[in-house]
Amino acid sequence: MNKTVNINLANILFHIDEGAFNKMRLYLESIKRSFANTPGSDEILVDIEARIAELFHEKLENERQVITEKEVDEVITIMGQPEDYMVDEDIFEDEPKAKRSSEQRRSKKLYRDTEMKYVAGVSSGLAHYVGVDPLWVRLLWIVLTIGSGGGFILLYGLLWILIPEATTTSQKLDMRGEDINISNIERKVKEGFDDVAEKVKSVDYSEVGNKVKNGGKTFFDTIGDIIMFFFKVFGKFIGIILIIVGAATIIGMFIGMLTLGTLDWFHLPGLDGVLKNITGTPVWVVSMLLFFAIGIPFFFLLYLGLKILVNNLKSIGNIAKFSLLGLWLISIISLIVLGVREAASHAFTGSVTTEKELYLDNASDTLNIQLVSTELWEQREFMRMDDSVMLYNDEGNPILLSDDVRFNLKKSQDSIIRISIRKEANGSSYDEARGTAEKIEYGYTMNGKNLLLNDFLTTADKSTFNGQEVRVNLYLPEGTILRYNPSSSRNWVVRGDRDRGDIDLDESVWKMGFDGELKCQECPEKETDEDDEDNRIRINSDGIDININDEDGESFKMKIDEEGVRIKAKDDEENVDINIDSKGNKVEIKAKDGDSEMTKTITKD
Amino acid sequence: MQTITSNTKGKSRHKKQKEVMNVENTKAQMRKGVLEYCILSILNGHDKYASEILSTLKDAKMLVVEGTIYPLLTRLKNAGLLNYRWEESTSGPPRKYYTLTETGKLFLKELDSTWDELRSATNLVTKNK
Repeated sequence: MNKTVNINLANILFHIDEGAFNKMRLYLESIKRSFANTPGSDEILVDIEARIAELFHEKLENERQVITEKEVDEVITIMGQPEDYMVDEDIFEDEPKAKRSSEQRRSKKLYRDTEMKYVAGVSSGLAHYVGVDPLWVRLLWIVLTIGSGGGFILLYGLLWILIPEATTTSQKLDMRGEDINISNIERKVKEGFDDVAEKVKSVDYSEVGNKVKNGGKTFFDTIGDIIMFFFKVFGKFIGIILIIVGAATIIGMFIGMLTLGTLDWFHLPGLDGVLKNITGTPVWVVSMLLFFAIGIPFFFLLYLGLKILVNNLKSIGNIAKFSLLGLWLISIISLIVLGVREAASHAFTGSVTTEKELYLDNASDTLNIQLVSTELWEQREFMRMDDSVMLYNDEGNPILLSDDVRFNLKKSQDSIIRISIRKEANGSSYDEARGTAEKIEYGYTMNGKNLLLNDFLTTADKSTFNGQEVRVNLYLPEGTILRYNPSSSRNWVVRGDRDRGDIDLDESVWKMGFDGELKCQECPEKETDEDDEDNRIRINSDGIDININDEDGESFKMKIDEEGVRIKAKDDEENVDINIDSKGNKVEIKAKDGDSEMTKTITKD
Repeated sequence: MQTITSNTKGKSRHKKQKEVMNVENTKAQMRKGVLEYCILSILNGHDKYASEILSTLKDAKMLVVEGTIYPLLTRLKNAGLLNYRWEESTSGPPRKYYTLTETGKLFLKELDSTWDELRSATNLVTKNK
């Protein structure tokens, strides 16, 4: 008893024995393969099927009869083996040869070789495709998988899905087809020239006219053939680059996503808190969105590369394509929304100002200003972000620590020292910003004549980065003397009033001037005498200033200003000084020549 | 099945045939060389479908297996020498009737004269031997 199968050959129904069916199927498949690269192969196959149907029809006595292997064998005998179909090509050697050779070139196809598989036959398939021993491919997989921390497993899975399995004989043969390697390229080029040479040699003189035409065409066809071949190799090269770029990015992103999401593999302290802090969104959501937003385009790049490289690649299907596209769009939109939300949360600036009077024990005391740093900076586990860092307080809650504190020294309108502290923060509304600003903690202490100012600010528990900053304005009455001690850890620049730029207070003693400018009390007087300066002639509203020296020690100096006129001339031995005071009341002349010296003073009186 | 690789297929087979030159091959080659001419001749004046062409060729012992003719017919059709039309058959599948085109007729004429020349040339050579 045998199972039968119903088949449709050229629109006629046949009942066929299962064994016979398999034989028939194999036969048609191998014929199909032998015509794979012939133009009009589909049509040829249809004709052949029609003929086979006709032959079956003749052989069967009635419609109920089942085709058995015997009938199939007979038909195959009549029709001939696939080789017989192929041999036929050879008799048309001359005319369409060049064209045919490009069309008939069967490129190797990528299949999974499940006969030699370890996992899914991806490696052995690839090995067939590139023409190496599967062992090398497998070793490469292992190395890359370990090297990428497992990311290549993902790629393996992808290839497993995308590369079809070689199930039929013809697929298996395709899988082992010709590979692109140097020797084949070389052979191809050689063949191209051989063809041309043969064409020239084999010119049939009785058909010279005809042949010349053909010959020319064939020659250029051959050249075109070679060029096409190189284009194909080039295309494959581009495909390989696309695959590498796509795969590397996806794998990198994947690892990035895993590490960001779980912080398991390498621990970036606080990063997850920071991200959460910035966006208010769980970190894994953000990393996944990023993965899709960047990964999907690269996946398509990879797919394109594979498609260039592998002719028979399984399509991922429209549903998959569109859902990936949709996922990508959703990711992009979500990221934009998150970004906008994030930007909006900084849109408004709010501030809170507190002002307090400070009293020196003794009004004439020198005010000591000292900056106090915090040991919190020493804490190692923090993430920096602009001026701020995030760290954990004793309760284990995240707080922010920022050095965005600035000082201004201003003149007080009355005789009272005041300190004004302005706390600022951003937020999505004024209220929110002010609320955030209020939560800023900033401390100072007045202790006798010492004013201790923190050089840092902290925020309350669970605050988010929102541009928190503190501005300290210190109002000093005129005549207040102050001394500044920078904290040892950080060099602080205190800004003076009147936009005169930053004054480096150093450790000097300063006095608040009447004009709001700090006057240095201990600073060395700046040298006003500019005698040392060489060779200048300066004429301006102050007067005339000339100073010329030469290398021999000769010099001439003249200064005319509101104090009068001074002239000094000097060379190796001689020396003349002339001074005239501003009112012209007194003229003094000093002259020296070697040993002799002369001084003369003339006064009005 | 032989596995002969793509672009060198025709070439290597060609060489192989030169290497193993037996009488069967030569006979097949000779037959096949004129197969194209024969098909065109069969269709001259009468439209025929594949099986009729086949039976004529097989009767004349021009063909051993039928499969050979299909790629040939398609090639001639693609070259514009043949045309075809479908006709329903009372017994079996619809039939593809081939007919000679104008180009086909000119082509055939050309081949006719070439064949005559060739025949007389062959006669001359073989008789003189």
